Amino acid sequence: MIREHAARVRAGEQSASEYVQRALARCEELDKQHSFFTVITREQAQAQAQHIDKQVRDGDDPGPLAGVLVSVKDNLCVQGVETTACSRILRGYQPQFSATAVQRLVNAGAVIIGKTSMDAFGFGTFNQNVGLGYQTPTNPLDASRVTGGSSGGSAAATQALNEFAHVSLAESTGGSIECPAAYCGVYGHCPTYGLVSRNGLISYANSLDKVGVLACNPADISLVMQVISGPDEQESTSLRASPQAGDVETVGVVSDAIAQAEPAVRDAFASFVKTLESKGYDIVDVELPVTSKYGVAAYYVLAMCEASTNLASLSGLRYGQEQSKKDISFNEYFTRVRSKHFNTESKRRIMLGTFARMAGYRDAYYKKCTQLRTHIIQEYEQAFEKVDILLSPTMPTSAPTVDQVRELSPAQMYAMDRLTVGPNLAGIPHASVPLKLPDGLFAGAMVMGWQLRDEQVLRFTEGCQ
Amino acid sequence: MNFDSDVVIGLEIHVELNTKSKLFCGCATAGSDTPNTRTCPVCLGHPGSKPVINEGAVDRILKLCKALECDVADALVFSRKSYFYPDMSKNFQITQFREPLGRGGTLRLSSDRQVGITRVHLEEDPAALVHPKGLAGSQYVLIDYNRAGNPLAEIVTQPQITSPKQAREFLNALMRILSYIGVFDSHAIIKADANVSIRESGYERVEIKNITGFKEIERALAHEVSRQRQVLRRGDSLVQETRSWDANRKTTAHMRTKETEDDYGYIFEPDLRVVEGMRARAKTINIPELPFQRAKRLVKEYELDAEDAHVMVSEQALADFFEELAERADPILSAQWLRRELLRVLNYADVPVSDSPITVDHLADVLSLLADKTISENTAQRLMELLIEEPFNVKEYVETEGLQQLSASDELKKYCQVAIENNPEAVKDFRSGKQKSLHYLVGQVMRATHGQAEPQKTRELLLKLLG
Repeated sequence: MIREHAARVRAGEQSASEYVQRALARCEELDKQHSFFTVITREQAQAQAQHIDKQVRDGDDPGPLAGVLVSVKDNLCVQGVETTACSRILRGYQPQFSATAVQRLVNAGAVIIGKTSMDAFGFGTFNQNVGLGYQTPTNPLDASRVTGGSSGGSAAATQALNEFAHVSLAESTGGSIECPAAYCGVYGHCPTYGLVSRNGLISYANSLDKVGVLACNPADISLVMQVISGPDEQESTSLRASPQAGDVETVGVVSDAIAQAEPAVRDAFASFVKTLESKGYDIVDVELPVTSKYGVAAYYVLAMCEASTNLASLSGLRYGQEQSKKDISFNEYFTRVRSKHFNTESKRRIMLGTFARMAGYRDAYYKKCTQLRTHIIQEYEQAFEKVDILLSPTMPTSAPTVDQVRELSPAQMYAMDRLTVGPNLAGIPHASVPLKLPDGLFAGAMVMGWQLRDEQVLRFTEGCQ
Repeated sequence: MNFDSDVVIGLEIHVELNTKSKLFCGCATAGSDTPNTRTCPVCLGHPGSKPVINEGAVDRILKLCKALECDVADALVFSRKSYFYPDMSKNFQITQFREPLGRGGTLRLSSDRQVGITRVHLEEDPAALVHPKGLAGSQYVLIDYNRAGNPLAEIVTQPQITSPKQAREFLNALMRILSYIGVFDSHAIIKADANVSIRESGYERVEIKNITGFKEIERALAHEVSRQRQVLRRGDSLVQETRSWDANRKTTAHMRTKETEDDYGYIFEPDLRVVEGMRARAKTINIPELPFQRAKRLVKEYELDAEDAHVMVSEQALADFFEELAERADPILSAQWLRRELLRVLNYADVPVSDSPITVDHLADVLSLLADKTISENTAQRLMELLIEEPFNVKEYVETEGLQQLSASDELKKYCQVAIENNPEAVKDFRSGKQKSLHYLVGQVMRATHGQAEPQKTRELLLKLLG
């Protein structure tokens, strides 16, 4: 859909400004009800749109994404726009530079309409852990239900703005693109680790974070991925290698994952697999016992260890929230700022992550989990020697209610990531396909390919429509 | 660990590498001194910023590893060292923990003395803390991030240094090596921490932090050894602790006990790749002949004595100067003259050897005129003093100014006669046996001839005239 829209804008058939005006009005309306956005960048969007219209009038090419609307998860820096990763400790912080992925979109003619809500720093599976003072977004399909997280605002906005040429730039560490995509009934794609630069992404867990895309159809995702992917000299883990395509003959269905899903999800998934069978794909059962048993633990230990170091820089100095009382020791000062502004989940993860890398515990937790991770990666590598694509349900359930989530203990909450942590730990490309359920909600089918086979995954996903 | 000496010292030295930009970002390492003007989101630790390694820093540390004869690790791996302090932009430092780039090296002080190098690694410098009214008197501290992110080489020695004096020797030798391989800006400051223990305590180790500049090292270490001995003499015992050196008060003060040492919670740095191939890369890096080896060779090839050779290699530019000069003049005379005269006038004018306006040509001329006795030593010395002001052609100048020394000429004989006539007391003293008076008369002739009289010939003539 966005390709056609961009074509119309470039041809002068559709005014970018007029389109953006309509979209912004709708955003503001939706935001009052559902709180998808942390910031709606009204002025900047209008300015960008006017610039595009002027380029078209002058005979210049505004780019392949001319006039396409993009919402950006709040942990991706947008120059001059308040960027807080949805945490109060960064309230008022305006980055001096835009994330590489954001800049590439803007250079291609996209219009940034706002920053979307998330669990603070990405710490959450349901977008219920927004920062202190932030509104919790609600699922556009059913306001009593959660959006999923941590890219909840992005997924919800993608569903709610489905009549517009809109995509959302988001991020996944352990499943934060796929989960909300599934819960909100949209497509979500998380690329191979390193394919999209993390420059300008406020880090949760640097070895796990990946910038990705949510959209209402996979062709839109592919177009955006072409624009944002590619090496970045300013980001050391950014890959030079290109994503690969490839034919798909054999599809592996992860049976130990299916076993962990609710009946409604299992049924929807089974129907989906049947349609694939009828299309001629070879369907085989695959087991991932190591991932199944240890994935959640390995993920959370590593992610929290890295996160606790990343969040250390937020100490009321140089940027973000500060405290006027400064005639105290530094230790006292930052303790007050951090205690005051971090939400409960942020504090929990900082403490656990710090503990797991302390001398005396580091070997048992951090080191052991780095080794576990290697085993998990090998398990996927071996699986992909036998199959071209792996398939599993994205989440064990459809979107739970806010009340149901409130009942969960932290450990139960973490366990909800058990189907998404695997591909995230392995850094493999994966996409969630929305499967409609009889009750009007959605489940997700997660399509996975081996590292760098992003084109293959996206082509396959397009074929699933 | 089994120790033998009365005093056991180990040093941990931090040296700023002379790259143009910082270790993980493009900010300049030198330039504006206005605080916080050489910063960017990376070295300020802004959210979303990411580090990118400075390849020049890697080349320099590999050079250092080679110069210190280290085993080089094949992979370049960084870690995060977490602690909260206002000079830390990220409240963690990117450093090397488990896998230092260099291990098991040696620094040679002389043919029979050397100090083992435990490890050499790369890390980023924190910011500079400025106490506006001194450490004690300030109510607030200012932070200047210009320095944050500068590349540091950390060099850790084995506990094989046996005295504060030797520690200073070691640092001198290290600085010479750093200067030779060109990775160090000689105006930059060296910082060191030291571990000090003495026999009387059973080698209970005390760490001294915050010693800046190599002159302070000997002072701080001598003070600490003395302090430890005093504690024991009093009947108290030493504890394993960390103390801080106060250069103003010239004392160490307790900082913390080892038990409460920070746990740095190390993890691998996930924003940087592991880079392989460091060993192959080290092989492609050339280092010049180092001071120790060069001094050995100068002794062998030019028959210099060890001390002269040691002085010649104290600066690479001086050693180069020497070897060029030694092709045209007698090597031993060259070494002596460089050591005594060139360094004298250069130091006086505060000019480094590498910027010397006095060239090898100048010196070759001076030494040749000296060797064939055309000029006296005094004249030669004066020429050096003139050359440092403004260079000129030596041989022409001597000719034009008539600076040739008087030797077997009637003129000299005249000066001798005048001296004898004008100094009857001295003549009388000499005739009654005082040899010193002859010396005095020679001096009078030297004065009258503005140093151009050839002393030996003058003495002979006077003796002859005095009968």
